Amino acid sequence: MTLKVLAVDDSKTIRKIVAKAFAPYDCQVIEAENGVEGLAIAGKEKPDLIILDITMPVMTGTEMLAKLKAQPNLKDIPVIMLTAESGKENVINILKMGVKDYIVKPFKGEQLIERVSKVFALKPVQVQDASKPSCTSQQGDITIFTLPERIERQQGPEFDTLFQQTLKGMADAGLNKIVLDLHKIKDVNMFIVRLIIGIVQHGQKARVKMQAVGAQGLASELKGFQETSDLVFHETLDAALAAF
Amino acid sequence: MGDIQQLDLSSITINATKQVFKTMLSMEIDPLPSGSIGKVSGNRVVGSVGFAGVVIGNIYIHVPGGFAKEMAAAMLGMEPEEMEDEEEVNDVIGEVSNMIGGDLKSRLCDAGFPCQLSIPNITRGTDFHIDTIGWMRHERIGFNKGNNPMVVEVFIKSVA
Repeated sequence: MTLKVLAVDDSKTIRKIVAKAFAPYDCQVIEAENGVEGLAIAGKEKPDLIILDITMPVMTGTEMLAKLKAQPNLKDIPVIMLTAESGKENVINILKMGVKDYIVKPFKGEQLIERVSKVFALKPVQVQDASKPSCTSQQGDITIFTLPERIERQQGPEFDTLFQQTLKGMADAGLNKIVLDLHKIKDVNMFIVRLIIGIVQHGQKARVKMQAVGAQGLASELKGFQETSDLVFHETLDAALAAF
Repeated sequence: MGDIQQLDLSSITINATKQVFKTMLSMEIDPLPSGSIGKVSGNRVVGSVGFAGVVIGNIYIHVPGGFAKEMAAAMLGMEPEEMEDEEEVNDVIGEVSNMIGGDLKSRLCDAGFPCQLSIPNITRGTDFHIDTIGWMRHERIGFNKGNNPMVVEVFIKSVA
């Protein structure tokens, strides 16, 4: 079962760091900017875990926690507090509030995962889904999007959508490097070229860094189009990964 | 309550700044000798947080605009040239200020000066000056990362 995590922090940067830390695991990270928003989302989404900052405008983390604990249907949700303050009194007060754990900023994503692992058994992401074509894999912080050898014309929109979903997942996880793996494609026709051009344009719009893997013929064909003229092709996946 | 003059503000600020840069930005920065503090001029971003209680004060992080972008990129795992959104840069500088200020606030509380921390503020500009009138303690510490100067300033006074 996917672990639902609510990250409440007024800093978009911290929310991105939290989302990135959970990206390799089967988790859905929902975000809120302050205590009021966090409380509303907690009531609606019933998260399994809340990562809660203390110093926030509108409603602080401490105030949100008090309201959370006052609601019978939400009071048992484990909360891990994030705080920039490591003073003894602050730590004692946090622990008195009934939180599961606390993390003092500055912190690394790995530290967060280590603390969460004490409460939940985190499962690595299962990318495979038998009912849908599987195109995406991960090498460290680099996403690999692989197109199959054969794509029927009617499947074009499906692959286009899959690529856009991959870009969205990357953005949510704070990732921005992708390899477009086209080495399986043997038949180069206008349908394939148009599909790849569309994919590359999505990548350019999302401002991701892109490298490509593919045969010389396909590379030459795509060089002739303005949209893909800057796409750098490599002969192997390893070479493309190393190019970042 | 302790004596505000006995606080080693300089060491507290240096340690907190180095720790935040190392953990969040994977950057090693070192303080400059007190006699050769660099000046951050031109386009700059200043992050600040305030604290108020039995002592009141502010901490300011002065960063050149270009270095602010580098910091934001480092924290978000991106390249500086990809940082086109000023809000993202502001958010990172604000968060860095919050972490350095949070550590200082914690040390103040532990030393018997209970106080509360404000949320961060950001000031951007090319020609402005922050006054130091009326404060009991003022520390100005310069740091250098490559060719980028950075200055952290702390102002404190007791209310009693």
